Amino acid sequence: MEEQQVIRLSGVKLTREHFQLGPLNLNVPQGYITAIVGPNGSGKSTTFRMLLGLVQPDDGEIEVLGQAVKPGLGVDYKQQIGYLEENAPSHDHGLRAKDKTAFARHWYPGWDVNRYRELLHLFGVDDGLKLGKMSKGMRRKYELAMAIAHDPELLLLDEPSSGLDPLAWRKMIDVLHRHMERGDRTILMASHIVEEVKRLADFIVFMIHGQVMGIYEKDELFSSWHCLYVQVPDANIPWEEMPGYSSKEKTGSNTVKLMTSAAQQSEVWLQERNIVIQGRQPLELDEILAELMAQRALHSASRTKGV
Amino acid sequence: MWRTIQINEQSAEPLYYQIEVQLRALIVSGQLQEGTLLPSIREFAQQLKCSVITIRRVYQDLEAQGLLRTKQGTGTFVAKVDSADRDRHRLEAVVKAMEEAVDAGRRVQCSDEELEALFREALRRDDG
Repeated sequence: MEEQQVIRLSGVKLTREHFQLGPLNLNVPQGYITAIVGPNGSGKSTTFRMLLGLVQPDDGEIEVLGQAVKPGLGVDYKQQIGYLEENAPSHDHGLRAKDKTAFARHWYPGWDVNRYRELLHLFGVDDGLKLGKMSKGMRRKYELAMAIAHDPELLLLDEPSSGLDPLAWRKMIDVLHRHMERGDRTILMASHIVEEVKRLADFIVFMIHGQVMGIYEKDELFSSWHCLYVQVPDANIPWEEMPGYSSKEKTGSNTVKLMTSAAQQSEVWLQERNIVIQGRQPLELDEILAELMAQRALHSASRTKGV
Repeated sequence: MWRTIQINEQSAEPLYYQIEVQLRALIVSGQLQEGTLLPSIREFAQQLKCSVITIRRVYQDLEAQGLLRTKQGTGTFVAKVDSADRDRHRLEAVVKAMEEAVDAGRRVQCSDEELEALFREALRRDDG
């Protein structure tokens, strides 16, 4: 099956006084949920704003839904996109939700009023309220309904569950899966909620300090990153040479905990050396992120030292 | 019925394989009957918290083995499995499990006699 890319970033760079983003190279495939995972301040929100043409990169090319993103893009471009900002704007606090809706729907020919009503009902949102009077959670649910009601090809969600209670969170997961049911729609989301990424994502992108550390198929990622508890033999073992080696930690007088990004190959390597594996555990998403960050810190440290 | 499929995260076996083995067993044992509509790829993935890529691979594999068929726009169904195929598939998983048991025994230096005794004991426990 030919895979279509909905988003292409090539050599995208943005430099600010305290922040350098990129060069970013990233393709987001159509029909999947891709989650960008990374610590705060790694450039996730800025990337979303660049995809919408709200921020211009200093260098590089951005293509979304087959169109180059540049200043002055027409309305029809945004009609195919749904965007949930990380923080709801505050300039419209005096508006009633339904007045904002009435205004916004004019821009979207695909606006489905039944779907909008259904989502509000499901989430328990009263759109007769003023936006400034809504709780954080209700405002979030309203904005989510707004982002989906025009049935967009591409949905950009920036920390979607921020402010949602567990019940609303589960409803959101369900709504998003149903949105994807047709098979040709795409979601790109930023999240640091481990469980959310696990439940939703097909692909995971790690983004750390303005750099994309790679895009991985979720199940492949989790089956490759393991920690292995092994018995240390008398001989000196060059652990760093183990395929997939990421880090090690002494856990007892003769046991060591090895973090690996290539569990199967690591096991073969250990077996060849008759090293007994006492236990294994898949890593959680946050642990993988921590390993990648440590690796990156190590590399940049050795670069500055000129090693 | 497909909801009984479970994933063991601790297992070294790849996810698609774990799912495939269980789904195949449900089909060849007749627990999922011919013509049963399976969930969409997205729904199945949501249920098992895995990616749609994994489920698509399972469906494609089982389709290639003639156990599933996909009708464009309608969904994926359990295919007709003829009885010879059914027997072959039915025993396939058992043979594999036996081989794994033998491997496990060999790892702790079990003799043939010990393995046979263990097998009989397991049968006895099951009967009781």
